[in-house]
Amino acid sequence: MAKIEKKRGSGKILGALALVFILAGLYFALIEAPPDANQGDVQRIMYIHIPSILTAYLSFFIVFVGSCLYLWKRERRDDILARSAAEVGVLFTALTIVEGSIWGKPTWGVWWTWDARLTLTAILLMIFAGYMMLRSLIEDEDRAAVSAAVVGIIGFLDIPLIHMSVYWWRTLHQPPSILRPDKAPWENVHPAMLIALAINFAAFLLLYFYLLSLRIRVGETEERVKREMLGGIA
Amino acid sequence: MGKWGFVFLAYGIVWLAIAGYFFCLKSRMRKAEARLAQLKSTGKIKHAS
Repeated sequence: MAKIEKKRGSGKILGALALVFILAGLYFALIEAPPDANQGDVQRIMYIHIPSILTAYLSFFIVFVGSCLYLWKRERRDDILARSAAEVGVLFTALTIVEGSIWGKPTWGVWWTWDARLTLTAILLMIFAGYMMLRSLIEDEDRAAVSAAVVGIIGFLDIPLIHMSVYWWRTLHQPPSILRPDKAPWENVHPAMLIALAINFAAFLLLYFYLLSLRIRVGETEERVKREMLGGIA
Repeated sequence: MGKWGFVFLAYGIVWLAIAGYFFCLKSRMRKAEARLAQLKSTGKIKHAS
């Protein structure tokens, strides 16, 4: 019981910290950062677009690790971790696509185009939406967890393709501004913009870990209810 | 729509969706905890930690 209370307490601290960073991030992104020389104010969408996709990548990396651990050790907690990270990752991937679409309309003139990076990101979303559907379609919990773990591992392999797509194919999407091999971020982005981006990234990370810890607690509690009910029947 | 319109639309959708997911998780948590408490009170859980 004390362990649960301790988890809840640290969750609240994480949530409060995330809220502070979110407010600071909004201030820096919408007020403090200068407008882009070419795109003007619409470029401010970048301060949520990049943190969203990086958070989604991190989430699917956690799915990958949780899935590998589950296939190796068959422990429920690894499956709960992978399942929780997949759900939060799907949210952040869907948000990335929506933000990108809204940013695309005034800059490219279209809401959507079958560009390599956009298409691969949509495929990533489909894979992990499929991962979640698979779990609800297979009744046997262990079989569902094993099948989902395999999908989770394969799905993660789409991420390097997404990142490298702007180098490998001719795309409408610009090359990375931050994670690029030839230039450091501060050589490529205005310092005020970089600060706004860093604060928003920190806000998304804190929010992500808060949502993930909450989702894991939900998963653990639901698992316990299921186990106890089965125990009661037996 | 002006450029700020696109910015507010993007930020609005993002924070609304995240808030919606957060409240959805909170509601699921409350339901699961209530179910667990119900099981405890009806004596189905003998060795509650």
